[in-house]
Amino acid sequence: MKHAVRVATWLAWLVVVAALGWVVARHLKISSDLRDFVPPARTADQALLLDEIGKGPGSRLLLLAISGVPPARLAALSRGLDHALARDPAFERVANGGQDLAHLASGLLPYRYLLSPTLDSHRLDAAYLHAQLQQRVEDLSSPAAALLEPWLRRDPTLETLKLARRWAPAHPPQRIDGVWFSRHGEALLVAETRAAGFDPGAQAAAIASLQRHFASLPGAASATLVVSGPGWFGVQANQHTRSEADHFAIVTSVGFVLLLLLAYRSVVPVLVTALPLLSGAVVGFALLALVFGHAHGITVAFGFTLLGVAQEYPLRVFSHRRVGVATAQCVRELWPLLATAIVSVAIAYLAFFASGVAGLQQLAVFTIGGLVTAGACTRWLLPRVVPPATRDMADTPGLAPAWHFLARLPRPRWLPWLVAAAGVLVVVLAPGRFWQNDLSALAPVPQAELQRDARLRAALGAPDVRYLLVLRAATAQAVLALSERVAPELHHLVTRHALDGFELPSRYLPSLATQRARQAKLPAAPELQAALQSAMQGLPFRAGVFAPFVADVQAARTLPLLTPERFEQLPPGARLASMLLRQGPGWVGLGTLSGVQDPAAFAALAGKTDGAVHLLDLKASTESLIVAYRHRILLALGVAAALLCIAVTLALRSVRRALHVLGPMALATLLVLVVLRGAGIPLSLFHLVSLTLAAGLGLHYALFFERRTGAAREDLRTLHATLVCVASALLVFGVLALSSVPVLRAIGLTVALGVAFHFTLSVLMAPAGHLRREG
Amino acid sequence: MAPHLHWMIACGKRMRRSALALLALTLATAAAAPPLAARLLAGMARTPPTSTPFVQVSYRAVLARPIIVLGTLRWAGGDRLERDIEQPFRQTAKINGGEISLQRGSGEVQHVPLAQAPQVGAMLAGFRALLGGNLTVLQQDFVLTAEGDPAHWVVTLTPRTPALRQQLASMVIDGRAHDARCLTVHAANGDTSITLLGALARRGLQSAAPLQSAVAARCRNDP
Repeated sequence: MKHAVRVATWLAWLVVVAALGWVVARHLKISSDLRDFVPPARTADQALLLDEIGKGPGSRLLLLAISGVPPARLAALSRGLDHALARDPAFERVANGGQDLAHLASGLLPYRYLLSPTLDSHRLDAAYLHAQLQQRVEDLSSPAAALLEPWLRRDPTLETLKLARRWAPAHPPQRIDGVWFSRHGEALLVAETRAAGFDPGAQAAAIASLQRHFASLPGAASATLVVSGPGWFGVQANQHTRSEADHFAIVTSVGFVLLLLLAYRSVVPVLVTALPLLSGAVVGFALLALVFGHAHGITVAFGFTLLGVAQEYPLRVFSHRRVGVATAQCVRELWPLLATAIVSVAIAYLAFFASGVAGLQQLAVFTIGGLVTAGACTRWLLPRVVPPATRDMADTPGLAPAWHFLARLPRPRWLPWLVAAAGVLVVVLAPGRFWQNDLSALAPVPQAELQRDARLRAALGAPDVRYLLVLRAATAQAVLALSERVAPELHHLVTRHALDGFELPSRYLPSLATQRARQAKLPAAPELQAALQSAMQGLPFRAGVFAPFVADVQAARTLPLLTPERFEQLPPGARLASMLLRQGPGWVGLGTLSGVQDPAAFAALAGKTDGAVHLLDLKASTESLIVAYRHRILLALGVAAALLCIAVTLALRSVRRALHVLGPMALATLLVLVVLRGAGIPLSLFHLVSLTLAAGLGLHYALFFERRTGAAREDLRTLHATLVCVASALLVFGVLALSSVPVLRAIGLTVALGVAFHFTLSVLMAPAGHLRREG
Repeated sequence: MAPHLHWMIACGKRMRRSALALLALTLATAAAAPPLAARLLAGMARTPPTSTPFVQVSYRAVLARPIIVLGTLRWAGGDRLERDIEQPFRQTAKINGGEISLQRGSGEVQHVPLAQAPQVGAMLAGFRALLGGNLTVLQQDFVLTAEGDPAHWVVTLTPRTPALRQQLASMVIDGRAHDARCLTVHAANGDTSITLLGALARRGLQSAAPLQSAVAARCRNDP
């Protein structure tokens, strides 16, 4: 084939991959909806968790602290940021302590007697009004008189102010210059994002916007803005993981190129090795876009890891090429074995497709599509773009001695069985947890940041992210009534120091029954007039000055009661909307809790309400979902392993040969588990996926070493190919094992260990006759 | 007015001894705009901590007769002001760090951020500037005019910003030599409060419901 045609084909391949990649990137939506990745919820709390994960009232809160300049300037920055965020559509609300809560309550002015608890304990009679008016006289003499005066005629009992106080944080931070400050002298704010707390993309955008607002404030350059909260941690973990992964990618890419140059003494492999893998990935993504319309972020990460197997296909071809023989011919000779590997793995992944979990089905579609495409590209496209071989890899210096060394290694037949037995014992008996259910342990938040978060959370009285109080009832009204009923119990828990504070839906909106009872207590106009007249005796107020108050009370007597639907249209309604939800046939109220000290104390509350009110431990619920998810994965992997065994046995048409391939794979996987368990590392999903990738690579090693070629030089080429594959895998994953990010370390360590064991065992456990035969 | 009188005598003794009546002063060089106002203000400046008795008479549209309260004003320096009402009820207002803490009798302390009441904030800032003799700060928010002579004068502060003018029409200080005697606050809605300070406060009021004009006349004309 002419050189120009090859270059043109290569370029065309590159362009098609790039173009398809571009199209797919525009159409494929990467979701972070965890519901794709977990089995259907089995309990109502799991369902609630899945519906609300990251959308809950606590998880969308960002805690902000500004420091580094004198308090007066911090206060100005706090006000500036508050002003900017209040206008930013990415944020639902923002608070810095400077808000005029009375203004918030003013929209509800006509409803104030129905919303405020005053009438539960008082009547608007002469005695109460007199006491109130006497207090107003005192207020009018205070420096704050100018604040109260506009309200006085309509609201002499200051019900609006009482509502504002009721809705204010229970333990607000101290104020300096009218805004919240911590004891450490930082100006404090809370901002609630519209985006879910565990939507890293949207959170990153919101945080970037927040930081932009801050940077554009006058004098912000010398001040420091600290952000904390679940959204921030997610974004940080992502950025940290990505930056470290990128960093390693550069190191390993350079190393990989050098390795290829060293192994093949040619730039051709460097230019084309990545193409089958990339083609596979692009086709995999295209399939996801076509079949599902979207892919979960985890699918993409896991899928790409599993697709790493395809990296070996072109390497095998380059190692097996012979001078004077067309590349296409060499590929044809290799193809049965490569096809066996691809088809076996693809069949195995069908188990994932049958799992019924959308995320795993996506993983199966992506991986099968990607592997088949990468294989096909290697079989039919690769030979058209590479120039004829000029060197036989069998001649590589040192290869023949290495072969002889490996061939002469002792191979006691009993050893694998002994190793297997000992390995099983270690895996079963090693102390420590077997599984890691806490996903956050894989992308941990630095201790200092956690401590700072706890400090800011306590200072702001911000709700706990881990615990929610769940109130279940048939209707929204029943939830509100339940909320009213348990409020005193929670107050009791606060006095017992079981928790620091709480916020229930009924704090914002009382049930219709309560509103009706308060409405019934509102006096008729003549009665109120008379009470007012006698209340004003001895006080300096002008007669008739409270006529607007009398009119308001009259209006409130016949006002339609506030339903949640109507309340949610009004300014403080957004808070209620996130606390009162419809779920399935019933309704759920979510109470936020802060500073939960004694979770067990809530058990009594659950007992008293027959479980209608109970503590939801989001961490425990998430972990129970992870466990359920892992069961699915393990089941899928078990079926996949069985399918793989059948496929390999059928392909090789011999149980004995299949044992030579599958034996090393199984034992190597066991040995990786032994090392991990022995080192006390609990296993996570990432370890499982990494084990699967390693097993896929091990299948290649074992298949090729098991191959009967009958030609010593071909065996040397097999060794060359395997050594290049092993070296490149060790390079990529060994470097990853050095990462400071636990999730990268988990993948790197597991795959690197796996590759080492798979290689060693596939050499040692290959049929003895094969390796001994010398050329 | 017997209890008032009693209180004032007690207060007067204390004040005489400590000799830091709001208006004891040291003449400093004044630089800026209306020379009389500048000179008067510089003269009024005093070193914290300092305190003075006061009598405040409030005339408001909602009231049939004025509310009269007696107490002590203290300035601890910086932005720390304390205003204790002792008669006819007890109330402590502390202004510190951008908020007012209000305590009724010995009851719960309530915090009102000044950010919610810019007009109150500006008035207090003006008051502090007055006590500190800080003409520059005062002129940020107010236009100053002065009438009379150094022995017998009236300084008027008119807000500069429209936002502040919506709340506050003017503040008028009546003084003799280095003593401010009265602070009259005219709210934009027509409400007025007159605060008698120092010696004038100590002498008290003659009536339980004095006419506004009568109190104003005392500020201006009393010896």
